[in-house]
Amino acid sequence: MAEQAQGAGAVPLSAVVADAANGVVLALAGGGDPYALSRLLRQGDAMASAAIRVLGADALAPYALDHRAVPGGENDEAVVREALAAYPPGPDASAVSVWTYRGLVEASHAFLPGGADRFPQAPRAASAWVTDDPWPKLSHRVSQLAALALPGVAQDLADRLTARTDDLARGFVRAVRRRDWLQAAGLGRWLARLPDVPPTLGLDTGLAFVRQMSDGDPRVALHVVAARQFYGRGG
Amino acid sequence: MIMDRTSHVETAALSAEVEGLLDSAEPQGVFRDTRECEGALLLALLLLGSPPTPRPKTDPKAR
Amino acid sequence: MSGDRAAPASLLDHLVGGALGWLDTVRDDFRLPPDVTTDADPDHTLKPLGELAELTYLISTSHPRDDLRRAAGGLFAFAWDETREGELFAELVRGEPHATYPVEIYGVFAQAGLRAPAVDRLLAATTALRGWRVAREDHTRTLGVLNAERRIGLAPHADFTTVLERTNLGMLSEPWALDRKGAYGLTHDVFHLTDWGRAPGRLPPAYADYLRLWLPAWLENWLDEQLWDLAAELLAVTACVSAAPYDTVAWQRLAAAQESDGRVPDLGAGSSSGDHAATFTSCYHSTLATAFAGTLTRVALDATGAGQRAQVHESEVAP
Repeated sequence: MAEQAQGAGAVPLSAVVADAANGVVLALAGGGDPYALSRLLRQGDAMASAAIRVLGADALAPYALDHRAVPGGENDEAVVREALAAYPPGPDASAVSVWTYRGLVEASHAFLPGGADRFPQAPRAASAWVTDDPWPKLSHRVSQLAALALPGVAQDLADRLTARTDDLARGFVRAVRRRDWLQAAGLGRWLARLPDVPPTLGLDTGLAFVRQMSDGDPRVALHVVAARQFYGRGG
Repeated sequence: MIMDRTSHVETAALSAEVEGLLDSAEPQGVFRDTRECEGALLLALLLLGSPPTPRPKTDPKAR
Repeated sequence: MSGDRAAPASLLDHLVGGALGWLDTVRDDFRLPPDVTTDADPDHTLKPLGELAELTYLISTSHPRDDLRRAAGGLFAFAWDETREGELFAELVRGEPHATYPVEIYGVFAQAGLRAPAVDRLLAATTALRGWRVAREDHTRTLGVLNAERRIGLAPHADFTTVLERTNLGMLSEPWALDRKGAYGLTHDVFHLTDWGRAPGRLPPAYADYLRLWLPAWLENWLDEQLWDLAAELLAVTACVSAAPYDTVAWQRLAAAQESDGRVPDLGAGSSSGDHAATFTSCYHSTLATAFAGTLTRVALDATGAGQRAQVHESEVAP
């Protein structure tokens, strides 16, 4: 796990992310007040920016649902632009860092009213790993990109992953066996998006199983709820 | 919903943490199994399955 | 499995040869004690001998290499000698007429044409009972009993397909829901259904598709856990599935677990206690399973190369 920031009295970033993920889950599930990212994670708060960067496209996921949320306009734009400016992928950034950044940019273009010209361009992201990684490694990486499994985001990646559906399904099996619920949920969410998932995998019961086994982990719940709301999987 | 985050944390200090959460190493696998079968596994009772039915002992006291 | 088959064949033969060599050096540990029919623990006496017989017979009749067939054949003949040419089974059945394990083990020898008329007469009486047909607790084990009945020529006490449908294989259980016990059960569902790889054609296509899809995931899991006997069993199952690719990496990982003397530990690096009996107990099963898997895979490799499906001496099944 990441080193926690040592600021006196600081709430760990992972806790801020979990709290925000919980807010997204509630919004996706249709409970509570209408979702507004900028109310959940405020402008001018370094931790909020960091949490948006970690959640990536999922920070805007409720806006991808019809009738569930009204984008918060200028304020949402401001917090997202702040996060994108604070944590750009560096020259030697990992593929996951670049792809998740890309996911947030794409989601901003797709779901915020400002339009593409108000946000950075999506950076180029290497994708040889989609074909080259052995399935366990591929599965771990794809699970880290679970937030990109959103309608209108990362369509090219979804198309390319289609060829490795069986491998990702094997990754789901492996992740459950390892009790890595976050990885399993992320993979299950991607599998929910892909056509031709093997029926014997039991994806729907698997997503429900993983959510229950994770004992309330909000990031796990987020992936499971997204699989249901956007792709109708998981029951 | 919003948590109290009064302290100022440097963006630079957070960067590593952000990267760590985004691209975390895969945790060690946790392998747990249904407990009722562990004894059998230690004996490698696998090929023929479960142990045979109990049988009479030559020592009548053992009954 | 197209392309160069020499390297896989060489690795497999080395593995099988080493395993059979070690099994031969511990032959005495398979010997049955004088109290085998009374006080001795069958799990430490009859079970190892039954496994030795089942798998060495398969190897002795299936392996393409003459030297390995002969090595396995010697161990199989030893096992039959230990049963005093079948007399043992008459004693076991008279002692425990309702137990299944004497039937299961006798079936191995009956399949090879090694019969004891007194045992045949006994079993005709003990297995004709309504009580013999009462459902048993473990459906996978029941498949083993049904296979033994077929080998011996007894009437099946239940419908094989109906029982199979209640197992992990028959249910096509969610592949992520198999725990160890479930995985061991599933490998044995396949072994009983295919008569230990002799009749892979008995695997219905839906089951074969299921296995082809998920075996790589299970292998990765249990190789990672270094549970070598289960990994070997999964490799044996892989060899029973038509068009399942030869898993180079999995075989290399299993081969790396084999000790220089040919034994394969059950778990991890095995124990280094130096206690001979403990070493035997912890290694005999995984070593046998490795020799078995290596043989089935070698046969499948040859069959693929020859453009035909692996077919292990089904013609030699007892009449």
